[in-house]
Amino acid sequence: MSAQAGLEGYFDVDIEEQRKDESHFETRAFLPLIGMIARHRAPLFSGFLMVIVATVATLLEPWLFGRAIDEAMVPGDWPKLQRFALVYFSVVGLRVFSTIGQSYLFELLGQRVTHELRSDLFSRLLRLPTSVYDKTPAGRLLTRVTNDVASLAEMFSAGFVSILSNALLVIGILVCLVVMDRKVGLIAASVFPGLMLLGAYFSSKLRVAYREARSKLSALNAFLAENLLGMKVVQLFNREELHLSRFNRINNWYADAQIGTIRIFALFQPAITIFAGLSAALVIVFGGAATRNGSMKLGVLVTFFSLVLTLFQPVRELADKWNVFLSGMASAERIFSVLSWPVETEAASAEVKPIAGLKGEIVFEDVWFAYEGEHWILRGLSVAIPAGSRIGVVGHTGAGKTTLISLLMRFYEPQRGRILIDGKDIRDYDKHALRASIGIIQQDVFLFSGSLQENVTLWGPPDDRKGDNKNVHEALALVDFDKGELQERGTNLSMGERQVLAFSRALAADPAIWILDEATANMDSQTEGRLGESLARAAHGQTTLLIAHRLATVRSADRILVLHKGTLVEQGDHAQLMAANGLYARLYRFQEAAL
Amino acid sequence: MLKKIRARLNGILEESAVLRHYFWKYRRWVGVGFAALLMVDALEVVPPLLMMAAVDLALGKPVVISHTHWSPSFSGLAWTYIGVSFLQAIGRYGWRMYLIRAGVLAGRDMRGGFARHLFGLGASFFDRTPIGALMSLSTNDVEAVRNMIGAGFLTMADSLIYFMTVPVAMWMLSPKLTLIAFIPLPFLPWIIRRNEREIHQRFEKVQECFGDLSAMTQESLNGVRVLKAFSKEEVQSRRFKALGERYVRLNLKLAVVQSAFGPTLDFAMSLGMVFLLIVGGRMVISQHGSGGTEAITLGVFVAFQRYIQKMVWPMAAFGVSLGIYERAVSSSERIKKIENERTDVPEAAQTELPRGALPGGPWKAEGRIEFRNLSFRFPRSEREVLRGISLSIEPGERVAFVGTIGSGKSALLSLLPRLYLVSDGMLWIDGVDVNRWPLKELRRQVGYVGQEVFLFSESVMENIAYGLQERSLVPAQRECAVQRASELVHVHGEVSGFVSAYATRVGERGVSVSGGQKQRLTVARAIVQEPPILVLDDALSAVDVQTEARLLEGLRSRPGRNTELIAAHRISTVRDADRIVVLDHGQIVQTGAHQKLISEKDGIYWRFCQQQRFEEELVEYERGLGEGVLV
Repeated sequence: MSAQAGLEGYFDVDIEEQRKDESHFETRAFLPLIGMIARHRAPLFSGFLMVIVATVATLLEPWLFGRAIDEAMVPGDWPKLQRFALVYFSVVGLRVFSTIGQSYLFELLGQRVTHELRSDLFSRLLRLPTSVYDKTPAGRLLTRVTNDVASLAEMFSAGFVSILSNALLVIGILVCLVVMDRKVGLIAASVFPGLMLLGAYFSSKLRVAYREARSKLSALNAFLAENLLGMKVVQLFNREELHLSRFNRINNWYADAQIGTIRIFALFQPAITIFAGLSAALVIVFGGAATRNGSMKLGVLVTFFSLVLTLFQPVRELADKWNVFLSGMASAERIFSVLSWPVETEAASAEVKPIAGLKGEIVFEDVWFAYEGEHWILRGLSVAIPAGSRIGVVGHTGAGKTTLISLLMRFYEPQRGRILIDGKDIRDYDKHALRASIGIIQQDVFLFSGSLQENVTLWGPPDDRKGDNKNVHEALALVDFDKGELQERGTNLSMGERQVLAFSRALAADPAIWILDEATANMDSQTEGRLGESLARAAHGQTTLLIAHRLATVRSADRILVLHKGTLVEQGDHAQLMAANGLYARLYRFQEAAL
Repeated sequence: MLKKIRARLNGILEESAVLRHYFWKYRRWVGVGFAALLMVDALEVVPPLLMMAAVDLALGKPVVISHTHWSPSFSGLAWTYIGVSFLQAIGRYGWRMYLIRAGVLAGRDMRGGFARHLFGLGASFFDRTPIGALMSLSTNDVEAVRNMIGAGFLTMADSLIYFMTVPVAMWMLSPKLTLIAFIPLPFLPWIIRRNEREIHQRFEKVQECFGDLSAMTQESLNGVRVLKAFSKEEVQSRRFKALGERYVRLNLKLAVVQSAFGPTLDFAMSLGMVFLLIVGGRMVISQHGSGGTEAITLGVFVAFQRYIQKMVWPMAAFGVSLGIYERAVSSSERIKKIENERTDVPEAAQTELPRGALPGGPWKAEGRIEFRNLSFRFPRSEREVLRGISLSIEPGERVAFVGTIGSGKSALLSLLPRLYLVSDGMLWIDGVDVNRWPLKELRRQVGYVGQEVFLFSESVMENIAYGLQERSLVPAQRECAVQRASELVHVHGEVSGFVSAYATRVGERGVSVSGGQKQRLTVARAIVQEPPILVLDDALSAVDVQTEARLLEGLRSRPGRNTELIAAHRISTVRDADRIVVLDHGQIVQTGAHQKLISEKDGIYWRFCQQQRFEEELVEYERGLGEGVLV
């Protein structure tokens, strides 16, 4: 590793991944996978059948050729030869058909199983508690759903079929050789154990070489990506040449690693050639002699030539595909490990209905919360919010405003204290119904790629324009801008439009409690006025929490809560707080003076 | 017709320029590999003949090869067989090691050349090009080209050579059977090409859908909080499932053509076998009787069986290699497109240095900076971000730039190290137009720290010593310089507290350090090489006010110091500057020292100070709150 001095940083990217990629696999993933496969009986069994038919047909062909020689050509029986040709032709047809069938059926099986796994994995990922998302980079989870499932699918389509059919073929050939002529068959097959050892040896060599190449490639990519990101710095410090020479160093390592795998194949392939030559030579000597003295028929000799030479391709395939199988199993293991993480309960149905008849009285009782350890974000917060009131929540970044909302929506559970809605502990409500009852409008609206309507209703029932659902109708009427398809980053929407969208989204959900999290920060006054009206109408008589950094937004609230480091330091309406001349008043003056 | 062919040939010549370049570069390797290939394919002729001899010998018939009588023994045949296998083994080793290795090396060279080109492109190129696209060029597309140089060329040559040798031997054994055996073959390349295309198209669709699946997963993971807030996990899972079903369908569509591909070829070959069985069998039978048809021995029949069996692969390979070629051409075109990009801040045709300066020498610029009626727009943009800037900065001065976001501060400062191109005659450093400065020399004199902090995934030591590589220092000197710089920016104490101190790895793949620490590390990186001109573009925003004040004070006595340009959002940062320049909408609206500017009531700077005063009051109050004085 000393050759990598100074570049270690690029080499340990996927230590976790690599460790799991080791040669052995654990039954932990194997058994549930078998269980999933077993559920798809039709493709599984018909696929097996096809494999067997194909193998038998493959063995029959040279045998028929040999029989044709012995029974038709040597005696000169022309009609019989025609019959043989016909049978041969049908066997060929059968083999071709079943070969196509086996790979299609196993592909079908693999696709079904991986589809199930992928869907299952996806829905479980969405139900992971929010705290997991704070700790685990989304990229790693993404890899599970995409790459790992893909490598598992490859195991089915390439690894599985190949291993199965090639192994059967090898066994079939060996059996045929021995059955057709025990002595010559055993002699010809005598090279086989050596070949197997060779295959196993190269297979393990290949695995190491593949891993080496993969790790070099990911280091190369990591290095290049980082340099492209920091190109300005590289250029400002005149380091282009130096970095280029480092790049070339890793680039050379990668080329060496690639050549390493090539060398293995370059040795393996000729080794097989020599083995094949040896066993063909054995057949010539012993089979030839046996045929001349009449103890072996000529057709059998010809069949032997064919069989002995087809023995070697499957061995090569096995050595190569075994690695596909292993890496598929390693992926399976990683997938099943994610599947075993605890998740939130599933919603009863896709259409989650808000809690009926919620009045919206909210009480925080001595709530303590820390994301980690003793690092308290909320320290004994107690506050009662009467149903139907408009409440402003202000304070600095880190004061606990957003945490308050996260707890209310049960993204996290407080360590101490409890939160009540309409006098009932929120833990006693259905989590999904509770969330559906709270309409949240955030400053940075997250856009999903798709149409505007989908983004407003979040794939809810489409608006039939008859106005069955008053809110959806109104929400869609608000987003009157014509933008076609949206992209995730929403570059084709202005900030103002994005906020209108955020508001419509909440409106369409028809909530009982409204939360506006910095929601009007980037709105022009005209839009703000229009939304204000809509909100006033929609949220009339409903509890509304306005979280704001900009105090002008909360001036008109019935009551303003001033948070500081997780505690409530002041509360009252604007006039009262200004008169008190405390934190709120100072914050206010500061913002008034802003440019 | 002839014209068309010639046009196509020219097209091939043109599109394969990159490929030919590498073939030529590695001509020795390719040559040796090609020779090995020739040997292997020529020897392919022999084994079937040996089997023929064995069969005829077993039947006690004379062994005849091209009218010559042979009288071999079984063991002689066997040894020949082994010998041929051995030679073929050597040849197979040779072509893999030479031809495919040449491909790998060509791929390496291409990647290196591509990277070299990227390192020479200007900042504006990277502003507009997504990194992902460049990454995919340097991996997937380079791989496609190298695949052609290695495996693609190999299979192409293999099948061509094969068809130049083996049919000759077959013809010598029996011309009629040779023709019969070749009946299904001419269709093969055509079938393969069609199939290739079909597979390629369906594969593209699968890839596209896979991209959609990944995008949806990524989007859902990023927006998981929204999905949870609206209780839409289940809805989204169902949408994902539906997309997954589409993916399955597309995959199965691909599987239909893909799983039929190999067996179809196989069928064509087997058809040849059926013909052989009928026609060849008839010919064998007629050797006993008096039949009018050409007669062959059983041995010849067996040899043909082997020849036909071996013929499919080269045929198939030829079709496959055409596909590889097509992909290599389109990939090399994509790469070429980037390689045609030129930097927008090239070296001047005639560079110039201030009087008395030696290029590459240890001299320091005086640091006199002049903006002469400067206006600027970013490349490919219509909007002027700077207009009519005229300003002269004397050596030794510290000038601060203040203004709201979008006022043009950053753009102005980024022109000093020539990150972006400014028109001639607008910006002068030490009396030399910035465009006439040798780029390396200019960047040696201007220490620039931008807003985005970027640290490499290396140790703190390596990160700070980043700019020292040009000065050949012994490690002890280096460490000394690094420590001095980090003391100047007040980060030494914190770094010493890290687990591995200066050996701690930071950056994207290292330990996470706070924003303020990162900023100070980047400033240390800039001052360690002691540039006479230091540019700090809002580079201390995350550092607390007290530390910042001490840091700025310390910078005044840093070694090699001349001129400093500092852009900031805080009054505290700029208050002690010799001169403050207030920018608004790309124009200078106020200049002067703090005292003078603050006296211009209701000016931008005055309001700026007002706001800061309230902020300080607020912070003061909050500190009181935090200590529990008021609670």
